[in-house]
Amino acid sequence: MEIGIAHYLTVAAALFSLGLAGIFLNRKNVIIIMMSVELMLLAVNINLVTFSAHLQDLVGQVFAMFVLTVAAAEAAIGLAILVVYYRNRASIAVDDIHTMKG
Amino acid sequence: MVIEALVFYVFAAIAVLCGVMVISARNPVHSVLYLILAFFNAAGLFVLQGAEFLAMLLVIVYVGAVAVLFLFVVMMLDVDVKKLRSGVVRYMGIGMTLGAVLFAEMVVAIGYWYFTPEKLGIPEKVSATPAISDAHNTEALGNLIYTNYVYLFQGAGMVLLVAMVGAIVLTLREREGVKRQRIAKQVAQPSAEEVKVVKVQTGGGI
Amino acid sequence: MEELLREYLPILIFLGLAIILSVVMIFGSMLLARQKPDSEKVSAYECGFEAFDDARTRFDVRFYLVTLLFIIFDLEVAFLFPWAVSLGNIGLFGFWSMVVFLGILTIGFAYEWKKGALEWE
Repeated sequence: MEIGIAHYLTVAAALFSLGLAGIFLNRKNVIIIMMSVELMLLAVNINLVTFSAHLQDLVGQVFAMFVLTVAAAEAAIGLAILVVYYRNRASIAVDDIHTMKG
Repeated sequence: MVIEALVFYVFAAIAVLCGVMVISARNPVHSVLYLILAFFNAAGLFVLQGAEFLAMLLVIVYVGAVAVLFLFVVMMLDVDVKKLRSGVVRYMGIGMTLGAVLFAEMVVAIGYWYFTPEKLGIPEKVSATPAISDAHNTEALGNLIYTNYVYLFQGAGMVLLVAMVGAIVLTLREREGVKRQRIAKQVAQPSAEEVKVVKVQTGGGI
Repeated sequence: MEELLREYLPILIFLGLAIILSVVMIFGSMLLARQKPDSEKVSAYECGFEAFDDARTRFDVRFYLVTLLFIIFDLEVAFLFPWAVSLGNIGLFGFWSMVVFLGILTIGFAYEWKKGALEWE
Protein backbone atom coordinates (compact mmCIF):
# COMPACT_ATOMS: atom_id res chain seq x y z
CA MET A 1 0.00 0.00 0.00
CA GLU A 2 3.01 2.27 -0.35
CA ILE A 3 2.02 5.46 -2.13
CA GLY A 4 4.88 6.31 -4.41
CA ILE A 5 5.73 8.84 -7.04
CA ALA A 6 3.82 6.95 -9.74
CA HIS A 7 0.51 7.35 -7.91
CA TYR A 8 0.76 11.13 -7.77
CA LEU A 9 1.99 11.35 -11.34
CA THR A 10 -0.98 9.30 -12.49
CA VAL A 11 -3.39 11.69 -10.81
CA ALA A 12 -1.62 14.61 -12.45
CA ALA A 13 -1.74 12.85 -15.83
CA ALA A 14 -5.46 12.20 -15.42
CA LEU A 15 -6.14 15.84 -14.58
CA PHE A 16 -4.02 17.04 -17.49
CA SER A 17 -5.82 14.74 -19.95
CA LEU A 18 -9.17 15.90 -18.58
CA GLY A 19 -8.13 19.49 -19.17
CA LEU A 20 -7.18 18.66 -22.74
CA ALA A 21 -10.43 16.80 -23.35
CA GLY A 22 -12.33 19.72 -21.83
CA ILE A 23 -10.86 22.13 -24.34
CA PHE A 24 -12.09 19.96 -27.19
CA LEU A 25 -15.46 19.21 -25.62
CA ASN A 26 -16.42 22.80 -24.90
CA ARG A 27 -15.10 24.44 -27.99
CA LYS A 28 -17.77 27.11 -27.94
CA ASN A 29 -17.54 28.23 -24.35
CA VAL A 30 -14.46 30.28 -23.50
CA ILE A 31 -15.10 30.20 -19.76
CA ILE A 32 -14.99 26.39 -19.64
CA ILE A 33 -11.89 26.43 -21.84
CA MET A 34 -10.19 28.71 -19.33
CA MET A 35 -11.26 26.42 -16.50
CA SER A 36 -9.73 23.51 -18.40
CA VAL A 37 -6.49 25.45 -18.72
CA GLU A 38 -6.55 26.02 -14.97
CA LEU A 39 -7.04 22.29 -14.50
CA MET A 40 -4.00 21.59 -16.68
CA LEU A 41 -1.91 24.08 -14.74
CA LEU A 42 -3.02 22.37 -11.53
CA ALA A 43 -1.82 19.06 -12.95
CA VAL A 44 1.53 20.67 -13.77
CA ASN A 45 1.77 21.95 -10.22
CA ILE A 46 1.03 18.49 -8.83
CA ASN A 47 3.83 17.13 -11.01
CA LEU A 48 6.28 19.77 -9.81
CA VAL A 49 5.44 19.22 -6.17
CA THR A 50 5.62 15.43 -6.54
CA PHE A 51 9.07 15.52 -8.06
CA SER A 52 10.16 18.08 -5.49
CA ALA A 53 8.99 15.84 -2.67
CA HIS A 54 10.46 12.64 -4.02
CA LEU A 55 13.80 14.02 -5.13
CA GLN A 56 14.14 15.94 -1.86
CA ASP A 57 14.76 19.14 -3.77
CA LEU A 58 12.84 22.33 -3.04
CA VAL A 59 13.23 23.96 -6.45
CA GLY A 60 10.09 22.25 -7.68
CA GLN A 61 8.04 23.89 -4.98
CA VAL A 62 9.59 27.28 -5.63
CA PHE A 63 8.75 26.93 -9.28
CA ALA A 64 5.23 25.70 -8.53
CA MET A 65 4.71 28.89 -6.55
CA PHE A 66 5.68 31.00 -9.55
CA VAL A 67 3.48 28.91 -11.81
CA LEU A 68 0.63 29.63 -9.41
CA THR A 69 1.33 33.36 -9.67
CA VAL A 70 1.44 33.33 -13.44
CA ALA A 71 -1.71 31.19 -13.62
CA ALA A 72 -3.61 33.62 -11.44
CA ALA A 73 -2.45 36.59 -13.51
CA GLU A 74 -3.37 34.71 -16.70
CA ALA A 75 -6.85 33.94 -15.41
CA ALA A 76 -7.35 37.55 -14.39
CA ILE A 77 -6.26 39.01 -17.74
CA GLY A 78 -8.06 36.31 -19.74
CA LEU A 79 -11.31 36.97 -17.95
CA ALA A 80 -10.82 40.72 -18.39
CA ILE A 81 -10.46 40.20 -22.14
CA LEU A 82 -13.56 38.03 -22.02
CA VAL A 83 -15.55 40.72 -20.23
CA VAL A 84 -14.51 43.37 -22.76
CA TYR A 85 -15.31 41.01 -25.63
CA TYR A 86 -18.72 40.25 -24.20
CA ARG A 87 -19.40 43.96 -23.81
CA ASN A 88 -18.68 44.54 -27.48
CA ARG A 89 -20.31 41.48 -29.01
CA ALA A 90 -22.86 40.34 -26.39
CA SER A 91 -21.70 36.74 -26.74
CA ILE A 92 -18.68 34.71 -25.80
CA ALA A 93 -18.79 32.17 -28.61
CA VAL A 94 -15.32 31.26 -29.83
CA ASP A 95 -16.54 31.19 -33.43
CA ASP A 96 -16.93 34.95 -33.52
CA ILE A 97 -13.46 35.74 -32.24
CA HIS A 98 -12.00 35.82 -35.75
CA THR A 99 -13.89 39.06 -36.29
CA MET A 100 -11.52 40.79 -33.88
CA LYS A 101 -8.98 43.14 -35.36
CA GLY A 102 -5.84 44.80 -34.12
CA MET B 1 0.75 4.46 6.60
CA VAL B 2 -2.57 2.81 5.81
CA ILE B 3 -4.33 6.04 6.66
CA GLU B 4 -2.00 7.94 4.36
CA ALA B 5 -2.77 5.60 1.48
CA LEU B 6 -6.48 5.81 2.18
CA VAL B 7 -6.42 9.59 2.34
CA PHE B 8 -4.44 9.72 -0.89
CA TYR B 9 -6.99 7.57 -2.69
CA VAL B 10 -9.90 9.64 -1.39
CA PHE B 11 -8.32 12.96 -2.38
CA ALA B 12 -7.15 11.68 -5.75
CA ALA B 13 -10.50 10.10 -6.60
CA ILE B 14 -12.44 13.23 -5.70
CA ALA B 15 -10.00 15.45 -7.60
CA VAL B 16 -10.28 13.39 -10.77
CA LEU B 17 -14.06 13.10 -10.48
CA CYS B 18 -14.29 16.85 -10.04
CA GLY B 19 -12.13 17.25 -13.14
CA VAL B 20 -14.62 15.14 -15.08
CA MET B 21 -17.50 17.23 -13.76
CA VAL B 22 -15.76 20.52 -14.59
CA ILE B 23 -15.66 19.69 -18.27
CA SER B 24 -19.04 17.94 -18.44
CA ALA B 25 -21.32 20.01 -16.20
CA ARG B 26 -24.21 21.65 -18.02
CA ASN B 27 -24.20 24.82 -15.97
CA PRO B 28 -20.98 26.88 -15.89
CA VAL B 29 -21.68 27.79 -12.26
CA HIS B 30 -21.54 24.10 -11.34
CA SER B 31 -18.30 23.82 -13.32
CA VAL B 32 -16.74 26.55 -11.21
CA LEU B 33 -17.88 24.88 -7.99
CA TYR B 34 -16.40 21.56 -9.09
CA LEU B 35 -13.18 23.37 -10.00
CA ILE B 36 -13.06 24.72 -6.44
CA LEU B 37 -13.48 21.21 -5.05
CA ALA B 38 -10.77 19.89 -7.38
CA PHE B 39 -8.36 22.58 -6.15
CA PHE B 40 -9.23 21.77 -2.57
CA ASN B 41 -8.44 18.11 -3.03
CA ALA B 42 -5.22 18.96 -4.84
CA ALA B 43 -4.30 21.01 -1.77
CA GLY B 44 -4.89 17.85 0.26
CA LEU B 45 -2.49 15.96 -2.02
CA PHE B 46 0.11 18.72 -1.53
CA VAL B 47 -0.16 18.37 2.24
CA LEU B 48 0.32 14.62 1.94
CA GLN B 49 3.62 15.29 0.20
CA GLY B 50 4.77 17.79 2.77
CA ALA B 51 4.29 20.91 0.65
CA GLU B 52 2.24 22.67 3.30
CA PHE B 53 2.80 26.22 2.14
CA LEU B 54 1.78 25.52 -1.43
CA ALA B 55 -1.33 23.73 -0.19
CA MET B 56 -2.38 26.74 1.83
CA LEU B 57 -1.49 29.05 -1.05
CA LEU B 58 -3.71 26.99 -3.32
CA VAL B 59 -6.58 27.32 -0.87
CA ILE B 60 -6.07 31.06 -0.35
CA VAL B 61 -5.34 32.13 -3.91
CA TYR B 62 -7.36 29.66 -5.96
CA VAL B 63 -10.31 28.76 -3.77
CA GLY B 64 -10.43 32.21 -2.25
CA ALA B 65 -9.79 34.43 -5.21
CA VAL B 66 -9.46 32.91 -8.68
CA ALA B 67 -12.52 30.70 -8.34
CA VAL B 68 -14.48 33.69 -7.09
CA LEU B 69 -13.30 35.61 -10.16
CA PHE B 70 -14.56 32.82 -12.41
CA LEU B 71 -17.85 32.74 -10.56
CA PHE B 72 -18.13 36.50 -10.97
CA VAL B 73 -17.62 36.32 -14.70
CA VAL B 74 -20.02 33.41 -15.11
CA MET B 75 -22.69 35.32 -13.22
CA MET B 76 -21.86 38.60 -14.90
CA LEU B 77 -22.01 37.42 -18.47
CA ASP B 78 -25.35 35.59 -18.19
CA VAL B 79 -24.62 33.55 -21.31
CA ASP B 80 -26.94 31.32 -23.26
CA VAL B 81 -25.69 27.96 -22.07
CA LYS B 82 -27.69 25.83 -24.46
CA LYS B 83 -26.29 27.52 -27.54
CA LEU B 84 -22.73 27.23 -26.29
CA ARG B 85 -23.05 23.53 -25.61
CA SER B 86 -24.32 22.70 -29.07
CA GLY B 87 -20.97 21.35 -30.28
CA VAL B 88 -20.41 18.98 -27.39
CA VAL B 89 -21.74 15.87 -29.03
CA ARG B 90 -19.87 16.60 -32.23
CA TYR B 91 -16.52 16.99 -30.51
CA MET B 92 -17.15 14.29 -27.90
CA GLY B 93 -15.37 11.61 -29.91
CA ILE B 94 -12.20 13.47 -30.73
CA GLY B 95 -11.93 15.09 -27.31
CA MET B 96 -12.33 11.83 -25.43
CA THR B 97 -9.98 10.00 -27.77
CA LEU B 98 -7.26 12.62 -27.48
CA GLY B 99 -7.58 12.75 -23.72
CA ALA B 100 -7.51 8.97 -23.40
CA VAL B 101 -4.50 8.62 -25.72
CA LEU B 102 -2.57 11.29 -23.85
CA PHE B 103 -3.42 9.70 -20.52
CA ALA B 104 -2.39 6.24 -21.72
CA GLU B 105 0.90 7.59 -23.03
CA MET B 106 1.67 9.35 -19.79
CA VAL B 107 0.79 6.32 -17.69
CA VAL B 108 3.06 4.15 -19.81
CA ALA B 109 5.84 6.70 -19.46
CA ILE B 110 5.37 6.94 -15.69
CA GLY B 111 4.99 3.21 -15.18
CA TYR B 112 8.18 2.22 -16.97
CA TRP B 113 10.42 4.88 -15.58
CA TYR B 114 12.23 4.60 -12.36
CA PHE B 115 12.98 8.03 -11.02
CA THR B 116 16.11 8.67 -9.04
CA PRO B 117 18.18 11.83 -9.03
CA GLU B 118 21.04 9.97 -10.76
CA LYS B 119 18.82 8.67 -13.56
CA LEU B 120 17.37 12.11 -14.18
CA GLY B 121 20.86 13.52 -14.56
CA ILE B 122 20.76 15.65 -11.45
CA PRO B 123 24.06 14.76 -9.82
CA GLU B 124 23.75 17.12 -6.89
CA LYS B 125 20.75 18.81 -5.43
CA VAL B 126 20.48 22.47 -6.23
CA SER B 127 18.59 23.18 -3.07
CA ALA B 128 18.00 20.17 -0.89
CA THR B 129 14.97 20.01 1.32
CA PRO B 130 16.06 20.47 4.91
CA ALA B 131 14.80 18.06 7.53
CA ILE B 132 11.41 18.96 8.89
CA SER B 133 12.91 19.37 12.35
CA ASP B 134 15.39 21.98 11.07
CA ALA B 135 13.10 24.19 9.06
CA HIS B 136 9.47 23.74 8.18
CA ASN B 137 8.22 24.07 4.65
CA THR B 138 7.39 27.77 4.64
CA GLU B 139 10.73 28.72 6.15
CA ALA B 140 12.67 26.50 3.77
CA LEU B 141 10.89 28.09 0.81
CA GLY B 142 11.52 31.55 2.17
CA ASN B 143 15.24 30.81 2.50
CA LEU B 144 15.35 30.11 -1.23
CA ILE B 145 12.95 32.45 -2.97
CA TYR B 146 14.31 35.82 -1.92
CA THR B 147 18.00 35.08 -2.35
CA ASN B 148 18.73 32.21 -4.73
CA TYR B 149 15.74 32.86 -6.99
CA VAL B 150 15.57 36.62 -6.73
CA TYR B 151 15.22 37.19 -10.49
CA LEU B 152 12.25 34.83 -10.69
CA PHE B 153 10.77 36.61 -7.71
CA GLN B 154 11.14 40.05 -9.28
CA GLY B 155 9.76 38.59 -12.51
CA ALA B 156 6.68 37.47 -10.60
CA GLY B 157 6.34 41.02 -9.32
CA MET B 158 6.51 42.31 -12.90
CA VAL B 159 3.87 39.79 -14.01
CA LEU B 160 1.59 40.98 -11.24
CA LEU B 161 2.19 44.60 -12.23
CA VAL B 162 1.37 43.86 -15.86
CA ALA B 163 -1.77 41.98 -14.82
CA MET B 164 -2.88 44.91 -12.69
CA VAL B 165 -2.25 47.54 -15.36
CA GLY B 166 -3.75 45.34 -18.08
CA ALA B 167 -6.92 44.72 -16.14
CA ILE B 168 -7.38 48.42 -15.48
CA VAL B 169 -6.75 49.34 -19.11
CA LEU B 170 -9.16 46.68 -20.32
CA THR B 171 -12.08 47.02 -17.99
CA LEU B 172 -12.04 50.53 -16.59
CA ARG B 173 -14.03 53.01 -18.57
CA GLU B 174 -14.69 56.62 -17.86
CA ARG B 175 -18.28 57.59 -17.65
CA GLU B 176 -19.49 60.94 -18.88
CA GLY B 177 -21.50 63.22 -16.69
CA VAL B 178 -20.79 61.56 -13.39
CA LYS B 179 -20.31 63.87 -10.44
CA ARG B 180 -17.41 62.66 -8.37
CA GLN B 181 -16.36 63.69 -4.93
CA ARG B 182 -13.06 65.56 -5.05
CA ILE B 183 -11.78 65.10 -1.55
CA ALA B 184 -8.57 67.10 -1.94
CA LYS B 185 -10.48 70.10 -3.23
CA GLN B 186 -13.03 69.77 -0.45
CA VAL B 187 -10.40 69.70 2.23
CA ALA B 188 -8.39 72.51 0.72
CA GLN B 189 -11.36 74.85 0.54
CA PRO B 190 -10.77 77.81 2.89
CA SER B 191 -13.66 78.57 5.18
CA ALA B 192 -13.36 82.34 4.63
CA GLU B 193 -14.72 82.06 1.06
CA GLU B 194 -17.65 79.83 1.81
CA VAL B 195 -18.99 80.78 5.23
CA LYS B 196 -20.47 84.15 5.98
CA VAL B 197 -21.36 85.07 9.54
CA VAL B 198 -24.45 87.22 9.68
CA LYS B 199 -25.87 88.87 12.72
CA VAL B 200 -29.59 88.27 12.82
CA GLN B 201 -31.93 90.36 14.86
CA THR B 202 -34.47 88.57 16.99
CA GLY B 203 -37.79 88.51 15.19
CA GLY B 204 -36.35 89.86 11.94
CA GLY B 205 -35.23 87.81 8.93
CA ILE B 206 -32.33 88.31 6.64
CA MET C 1 7.33 13.21 6.92
CA GLU C 2 5.54 10.88 9.30
CA GLU C 3 5.40 13.39 12.13
CA LEU C 4 4.23 16.12 9.77
CA LEU C 5 1.28 14.04 8.70
CA ARG C 6 0.53 13.15 12.29
CA GLU C 7 0.14 16.85 12.99
CA TYR C 8 -2.45 17.05 10.25
CA LEU C 9 -4.46 14.11 11.61
CA PRO C 10 -6.72 16.30 13.81
CA ILE C 11 -7.56 18.42 10.76
CA LEU C 12 -8.43 15.29 8.82
CA ILE C 13 -10.66 14.04 11.62
CA PHE C 14 -12.26 17.46 11.83
CA LEU C 15 -12.88 17.45 8.08
CA GLY C 16 -14.39 13.98 8.21
CA LEU C 17 -16.64 14.89 11.12
CA ALA C 18 -17.79 18.05 9.35
CA ILE C 19 -18.69 16.11 6.21
CA ILE C 20 -20.47 13.37 8.18
CA LEU C 21 -22.37 15.90 10.26
CA SER C 22 -23.56 17.90 7.26
CA VAL C 23 -24.64 14.76 5.42
CA VAL C 24 -26.51 13.53 8.49
CA MET C 25 -28.25 16.88 8.86
CA ILE C 26 -29.37 17.06 5.25
CA PHE C 27 -30.54 13.47 4.96
CA GLY C 28 -31.94 13.43 8.48
CA SER C 29 -34.21 16.33 7.68
CA MET C 30 -35.20 14.65 4.43
CA LEU C 31 -36.11 11.45 6.25
CA LEU C 32 -37.66 12.79 9.43
CA ALA C 33 -39.54 15.92 8.43
CA ARG C 34 -42.95 15.73 6.84
CA GLN C 35 -42.63 16.58 3.16
CA LYS C 36 -45.78 17.68 1.44
CA PRO C 37 -44.71 20.05 -1.30
CA ASP C 38 -47.27 21.85 -3.37
CA SER C 39 -46.85 24.50 -6.01
CA GLU C 40 -47.35 27.37 -3.56
CA LYS C 41 -44.90 26.03 -1.02
CA VAL C 42 -42.04 25.51 -3.44
CA SER C 43 -42.47 28.75 -5.36
CA ALA C 44 -40.02 31.56 -4.74
CA TYR C 45 -41.08 33.97 -2.03
CA GLU C 46 -40.12 37.58 -2.43
CA CYS C 47 -41.82 39.66 0.26
CA GLY C 48 -45.20 38.38 -0.83
CA PHE C 49 -44.87 39.57 -4.42
CA GLU C 50 -44.39 37.46 -7.44
CA ALA C 51 -40.66 37.40 -8.18
CA PHE C 52 -39.92 40.39 -10.41
CA ASP C 53 -37.12 38.93 -12.47
CA ASP C 54 -34.43 36.32 -12.61
CA ALA C 55 -32.03 36.15 -9.68
CA ARG C 56 -29.09 36.07 -12.09
CA THR C 57 -29.09 39.64 -13.23
CA ARG C 58 -26.00 41.12 -14.82
CA PHE C 59 -23.99 43.38 -12.64
CA ASP C 60 -21.42 46.06 -13.06
CA VAL C 61 -17.92 45.49 -14.42
CA ARG C 62 -16.46 47.47 -11.55
CA PHE C 63 -17.17 44.59 -9.16
CA TYR C 64 -14.96 42.49 -11.41
CA LEU C 65 -12.20 45.08 -11.32
CA VAL C 66 -12.25 45.11 -7.54
CA THR C 67 -12.02 41.29 -7.40
CA LEU C 68 -9.14 41.34 -9.81
CA LEU C 69 -7.16 43.90 -7.85
CA PHE C 70 -7.89 41.81 -4.77
CA ILE C 71 -6.30 38.77 -6.42
CA ILE C 72 -3.15 40.69 -7.29
CA PHE C 73 -2.70 41.94 -3.76
CA ASP C 74 -3.64 38.52 -2.39
CA LEU C 75 -0.68 37.05 -4.27
CA GLU C 76 1.54 39.84 -3.07
CA VAL C 77 0.63 39.02 0.52
CA ALA C 78 1.20 35.31 -0.20
CA PHE C 79 4.78 36.16 -1.09
CA LEU C 80 5.13 38.05 2.17
CA PHE C 81 4.49 35.01 4.36
CA PRO C 82 7.69 32.99 3.69
CA TRP C 83 9.66 36.22 3.71
CA ALA C 84 8.38 37.08 7.16
CA VAL C 85 9.12 33.59 8.48
CA SER C 86 12.68 33.40 7.16
CA LEU C 87 13.71 37.03 7.48
CA GLY C 88 16.33 36.04 10.05
CA ASN C 89 18.14 33.76 7.60
CA ILE C 90 18.10 35.66 4.35
CA GLY C 91 19.87 38.76 5.55
CA LEU C 92 19.80 42.26 4.11
CA PHE C 93 19.71 41.04 0.51
CA GLY C 94 16.47 39.17 1.08
CA PHE C 95 15.02 42.18 2.85
CA TRP C 96 15.82 44.54 -0.02
CA SER C 97 14.62 42.12 -2.69
CA MET C 98 11.23 42.17 -1.02
CA VAL C 99 11.34 45.96 -0.81
CA VAL C 100 11.96 46.11 -4.57
CA PHE C 101 9.07 43.69 -5.13
CA LEU C 102 6.77 45.82 -3.01
CA GLY C 103 8.03 48.91 -4.86
CA ILE C 104 7.05 47.41 -8.22
CA LEU C 105 3.58 46.67 -6.94
CA THR C 106 3.34 50.12 -5.38
CA ILE C 107 3.82 51.55 -8.88
CA GLY C 108 0.77 49.55 -9.93
CA PHE C 109 -1.13 50.73 -6.89
CA ALA C 110 -0.29 54.36 -7.64
CA TYR C 111 -1.41 53.82 -11.24
CA GLU C 112 -4.77 52.39 -10.27
CA TRP C 113 -5.28 55.13 -7.71
CA LYS C 114 -4.49 57.79 -10.32
CA LYS C 115 -6.83 56.20 -12.87
CA GLY C 116 -9.62 56.12 -10.34
CA ALA C 117 -10.11 52.37 -10.41
CA LEU C 118 -10.79 52.37 -6.70
CA GLU C 119 -13.40 55.08 -6.83
CA TRP C 120 -17.05 54.33 -6.60
CA GLU C 121 -19.31 56.85 -8.15
